[in-house]
Amino acid sequence: MVLMHNVVIVGGGPAGLSAALAAAAAGAPVLLIDSNSRLGGQYWRNSSTDLENQNEQHFDLATGLLLINAVEARKEIEVWSEAQIWSATNDEGKNTLRVIHQGKEKIVNTANLILCTGAYDRTLPFPGWDIPGVMTPGGVQSLLKGHGVLAGKRVVVAGTGPFLLPVAAGVIKAGGKVVSLIEANKSRRWLTSTIVVLENLSKIKEAFYYIKTISEGKVRAQFGYAVIAAHAGSTGELDSVDIARINRNFKVKKVKQVKCDVAAIGWGFTADTSLAGSLGCKQVVAKDESVVVWVDSEQQTNIPGIFAAGEITGIGGSDLSMAEGVIAGIAAAKFVGCKVDVLKAHRKRRAKRQRFANALIKAYPIKAGWKLWPNDRTTICRCEEVSLGDLKFSVEELGATDSRTAKLFTRCGMGLCQGRICGRSVVDLVAKELSVLPTDIDRISAVNRPIITPIPLGVLAQGE
Amino acid sequence: MSQSEIQFTFDDTTISAVSGQSVGAALLAANQRSLRKTRFNKNKRGIFCGIGVCFDCLVVIDGITNQRACIIEAKPGMKVQTQDGSNA
Amino acid sequence: MKNPDAIVIGAGVVGACTALSLSNAGLRVLVIDRGPVASGTTGAGEGNILVSDKEPSPELTLAIRSRDAWFEINTDIGGGFELEAKGGVVVSRNTKGISDLKKLASLQKENGVETIELDASTLQEAEPFISKDVDYGVLYPGDAQCQPMLAAAQIIRAVKKRGGQFIQGENVVKINSNAGSIVGLTTDKNTYSTPIIINATGTWAGEIAKLANSYLPIMPRRGYILVTSPAPKLINHKVYDADYVANVASGEADLQSSAVIEGTASGTILIGASRERVGFKNDLNIAILRQLARQAISLFPMLTNIQLLRAYRGFRPYAPDHLPVIGEDANVSGLWHAAGHEGAGIGLAPATGELITAQIKGDKPFMDPAPFSPKRFKGSEHVAV
Repeated sequence: MVLMHNVVIVGGGPAGLSAALAAAAAGAPVLLIDSNSRLGGQYWRNSSTDLENQNEQHFDLATGLLLINAVEARKEIEVWSEAQIWSATNDEGKNTLRVIHQGKEKIVNTANLILCTGAYDRTLPFPGWDIPGVMTPGGVQSLLKGHGVLAGKRVVVAGTGPFLLPVAAGVIKAGGKVVSLIEANKSRRWLTSTIVVLENLSKIKEAFYYIKTISEGKVRAQFGYAVIAAHAGSTGELDSVDIARINRNFKVKKVKQVKCDVAAIGWGFTADTSLAGSLGCKQVVAKDESVVVWVDSEQQTNIPGIFAAGEITGIGGSDLSMAEGVIAGIAAAKFVGCKVDVLKAHRKRRAKRQRFANALIKAYPIKAGWKLWPNDRTTICRCEEVSLGDLKFSVEELGATDSRTAKLFTRCGMGLCQGRICGRSVVDLVAKELSVLPTDIDRISAVNRPIITPIPLGVLAQGE
Repeated sequence: MSQSEIQFTFDDTTISAVSGQSVGAALLAANQRSLRKTRFNKNKRGIFCGIGVCFDCLVVIDGITNQRACIIEAKPGMKVQTQDGSNA
Repeated sequence: MKNPDAIVIGAGVVGACTALSLSNAGLRVLVIDRGPVASGTTGAGEGNILVSDKEPSPELTLAIRSRDAWFEINTDIGGGFELEAKGGVVVSRNTKGISDLKKLASLQKENGVETIELDASTLQEAEPFISKDVDYGVLYPGDAQCQPMLAAAQIIRAVKKRGGQFIQGENVVKINSNAGSIVGLTTDKNTYSTPIIINATGTWAGEIAKLANSYLPIMPRRGYILVTSPAPKLINHKVYDADYVANVASGEADLQSSAVIEGTASGTILIGASRERVGFKNDLNIAILRQLARQAISLFPMLTNIQLLRAYRGFRPYAPDHLPVIGEDANVSGLWHAAGHEGAGIGLAPATGELITAQIKGDKPFMDPAPFSPKRFKGSEHVAV
């Protein structure tokens, strides 16, 4: 099936939903392609669009449901759910998306595209991180909000970043016990910037909403601590974790063991730029060392007609994603000939939220000390079971001088997830072995994935 | 959401799920944390990222390997099995 | 090492094997590459070590010796590159194909290649999942497999342990000669003196020849390989359509492809093979991926539900007559070429190294190297694409 639409948006989270509504309001017909069964992305994961029926209260889920219902109500917005793009190419102004939808392949050709593919939890390797029971905060959250399942009874929530708060609150509200809530960073520098605080009072309110739940659950957050190892019980599943007091550089000071059956550990986010990279969009390395898509002030990438909004332009949270989505939607509609313009108010809102996002990145850095947590036996590439020792061998004995070559020698990053989980860590660990700093090229090449998602050979064979 | 209960099998056990739940969520609710053994070291793995990115939660569904339990909706009568390496 | 006995330019599998051979013969060898080990065609190789795809010819003689040499190297350096004597099965499904295959197999047998004919039932035993409409094949127990990047890396590692040196990240900018003989070369960082240079730069061999005011017509031929997700063990040997042999010898520019399928030690299934003359064009040709998938499914129907995980492309270096170039330059003495092995670079690398070493040392080579000599291009008017 070959189709041509006016504005094609990939991703149904805060950015994609905002872009869809803005483009439709401007008069452009929209095709919204989303890989999940329900709209909302990760941030607004839900099990029903009826607010009363949620498995867990989320602070601004109401906003999300409003947008989702609005998108579903508009006839000008066609939605493909459970649609996976396996390949995307750009050929002189024509973008071809090859989509697997309802078991068949569909080809979408469009000159105009808005990429809102979002982000996923960033993880750091440590001994035992591959034991069943060790998860990401996003995973625990998704199980709860999307499927009504509490991942475990004794939960450790750890890592860094404000996302740990709603996850801990969610566990408590669902009747689970948070045995430990630990944040690696002590800095609350963003609080000291008065302007940022005043501009984002709703964010403070949100934080206190979670803090209230947490203290009612008799849980006290600890700052300057991290999970540095996990241990399995006789069943081979998670039994306890080692929690270390760490210094400013994440170096281990003192360790104590805590029994748990789930550890939700997250270290910020990694943008999912596979689709953008596949199309040839310019990618750059952001201040938090994540690889993001470059865009101009109208959210347009270096390829005319391709726009990007949300976490893939820089990790910044849902409010910034929405602000960017609106601008991208308007700019895209303008690109196809609608008589609209991005307003000053849109830009001001985006700038304000960008300031908040920048402050957060500064407040929750990831320091180099984590590289001393894994030992030679620690699995680094989970898919292919490649250890830190294997990586070191490829550098010391086989002469690998960059992460790409180390990957070819060890199979690191060649498994099913194609380096989405281990990629960033491999770049850092190989650079450490070589006593060099990772280059931008190292980081960007680690996210190069022409085949975006696995596709059954039978479906590939039948396509045009 | 309809609260209707559905059932599927996991190896020799019958698992109940709420309609709309993923296979992985239903298994976790039934206290089934390990879903497969890895190819080389035969280590147990379960749900890790929970959103379909990490490919750790692989199970065999109706004879087909490499199915991500966390994103595939449980359907009545599904035959789900532990994945042993790359095999059913 | 400023005054090595020999410099090998290129740390791919051919350069590595040549360096090892020279090292073992007592020379102090310096290997130079502008990038890491296996950063050229070797890094995109499948790892084929075949005796099955060549008609009786000098190339077959080279392939037979080279295959055995791989197992000797494996023992010599202590392995570490997944070498496996897995065997190959060539099949055909049409009458002419079958008759051609029978003829080829019997000629190969007369020339030292072990072949075993398979009928419908022994074929099913050898490959239980092969399509039921295939009822004739030939098994080549001699065909083998390795991991090419690891092979090059382990061999370079051995060369270093035996007194050789590997320098990465220097680009050769000048080849220096005096009165028609090599005296050394200059990179963007250093100058080295040596009487012997081996050009093992694959697809770039023509450029290196030019630096020495000589000429070598080597062109790239693009190929793709599909890699599946880790799958159950469904395929026991390398399996190929008899068309694969014809493809290699063909000179047509258009896309050619025929099924070449095998499992690997890590559980993935590799699917090839395609050949296109598109220069160094880097794009992803989706039509080719589909064609390869179709052909693979036609041979192994159960591949329908196996997923494509990634695809990669490489550029096979080839000469106009589809024979490798192994020997001393026509114009400059002391300059040796070891390049242009097309899709057989990995398989033929060790024997290439042996031929080069024997000629440099003045020993009797295991076969007459004249068919591979670069002197065959002297006076020709080929234009590099």
